[in-house]
Amino acid sequence: MTNALEVENLRKSYGDLDALKGVSLTVPEGSFFGLLGPNGAGKTTFINVLVGLVRASGGDARVFGHDVEADYREARDRIGLAPQEFNVDRFFPIHEVLEHKAGYHGVPRDVAAERAERALKQVGIYDKRDTRFDWLSGGMKRRFMLARALVTDPDLLILDEPSAGVDVQLRRDLWDLVTELNEEGTTVLLTTHYIEEAERLCDEVAILDRGRVVTVASPEELMDRGTDRVVIALREPPASTDALSDLLPGDDRIEDVSLEEDRLVVTARQGGLVAPDLVRELDRAGHEILDMEIKRTSLEEVFVDMTRHEEGDGRPDGDGVDGDVDDEGGNDRDDDAPLETAATGGREGSR
Amino acid sequence: MSGDAGSIDLTGFLTLTKREVLRFLRRPSNTFAPPFITNVLYFSVFGVILGERVGTITGVPYILFILPGLVVLGAVSNSFENASFSIFHGRWNEYIHEVLTSPLSYAGMVGAYVLAAATRGVLVGGLIAAIGWAIVTALFRPVPVEDPLYLLAFLLVITLLFASLGVIGGLAASDFDDLTVMNQFILRPLVFFGAVFYSLEDLTPLLRDISLLNPMVYMVNGVRYGFLGVAEVDPRLSLGVLAGMTVAAVGLDVLLFKRGYGLTD
Repeated sequence: MTNALEVENLRKSYGDLDALKGVSLTVPEGSFFGLLGPNGAGKTTFINVLVGLVRASGGDARVFGHDVEADYREARDRIGLAPQEFNVDRFFPIHEVLEHKAGYHGVPRDVAAERAERALKQVGIYDKRDTRFDWLSGGMKRRFMLARALVTDPDLLILDEPSAGVDVQLRRDLWDLVTELNEEGTTVLLTTHYIEEAERLCDEVAILDRGRVVTVASPEELMDRGTDRVVIALREPPASTDALSDLLPGDDRIEDVSLEEDRLVVTARQGGLVAPDLVRELDRAGHEILDMEIKRTSLEEVFVDMTRHEEGDGRPDGDGVDGDVDDEGGNDRDDDAPLETAATGGREGSR
Repeated sequence: MSGDAGSIDLTGFLTLTKREVLRFLRRPSNTFAPPFITNVLYFSVFGVILGERVGTITGVPYILFILPGLVVLGAVSNSFENASFSIFHGRWNEYIHEVLTSPLSYAGMVGAYVLAAATRGVLVGGLIAAIGWAIVTALFRPVPVEDPLYLLAFLLVITLLFASLGVIGGLAASDFDDLTVMNQFILRPLVFFGAVFYSLEDLTPLLRDISLLNPMVYMVNGVRYGFLGVAEVDPRLSLGVLAGMTVAAVGLDVLLFKRGYGLTD
């Protein structure tokens, strides 16, 4: 199967600032791929390289096998972009803006008019077709950005923070529509701050931080790398955890055992798998279990953990790009790498 | 994919040209009213009131002498302003990204911006010619058009040249003030010292030689030749030099687009 996106060692520097420090990614055709990262991680720069709004300082990027610089016309024709910023032609009513956009992609006028009508209906603002963009409400503007990306019938739909600042209902409408498109075969590349969005929609996510890919994995795999909490209520809880220190000896999934208000709290990776073993060991040790709850880690917690920076590590607030010298790669897919290794790899490179 | 590269480029080019032309046609109060009022004033004050005192220049009434120059002034400034404003406004509000992220070739993008801006220049030049024709005809006699082919050729070349220079201006500008500076402090002085309101014969030899370095002299001279059949510089030479400059300016536009000058980070 062709890959929708193949990026190798992509770099972008603004003077001394390295916005992308050798990003490598592969997005399979037909997938729903999420790009997560804090502000300034390099997500928008990465996207803008693909569509020709930013010139890479080095590396390669190919869209369905077409190099984004050498074969820029073929690459751009495959992409539909809904950017974060409202960069829309204000001179014309929105249906004409869509017709023009389709025309730039070589779509004949009558077909472009049909596609514009279809796209406006898809996002639910057809009745506003004769309105200019400035007169749309915030939510309608966001819907329009998606319509403009769809009007060229793209094979790769890139959504840069599509649900930023929209209400819950609209967000769900957008999710439904994009999911439907993905099921029909459109590859989707989504950047988002809403972890729930990635968790719910994406087959695979890449976490980008300070211009590097920290890890690439499915949301489930990422959550498995986080630490769960197994909370157990015992009829007669011990006075201290000393008596429980031998619980599952040698199990490196367990990170901590503590007592919180007479409840035993075991912090462990893959808590769902650890819990049965714990119950068995506690039973064997003569403890009577009254209640047990497994609190799974969220993707958000994993994300925060992976992109957390210690105070005074040189990372400027807000812009997120720093002046570190690139040290070649170190950002390839590391699906099997444990959380600590992946996260530490990211931090080391920015010291 | 929407088709092969050739059909994408042609359809894309036509779409962008149409978009650019519609942008100014749908705002006649911005596009046509200002040159209409300004040129009625020029013809009235310089042509009629002062013209009576000046009498004739190179054998023609003064109002007829300045008519080609005013046509050039309107045509080149509108071509330049349209291209520079459209490019810069698109950059400022980032909607030029709609074009830049499309599969249109860089030559197609430049061609559309230049052609649309030149169209505006020709239309405004035609409007000014019509105003002059009406006033001159009412006061003296019908305005002659001695060589319509030369007139058309010069109008096309100078509007294309200034449209392509306007693209450079739109890419180079970093603020709206820069556009004003380009128009008021560079373009307008060149036109006014381009023998619009006077004959080169009225200048001292030194000033005449200096004036010949001004490309506007050749444009005004060429358009005047088209109207009156009178030229102070060989019109074929003027046309050749201007056509060469136009090709070079368009080539530079395409190169700048290709390199992303003012367009990409």
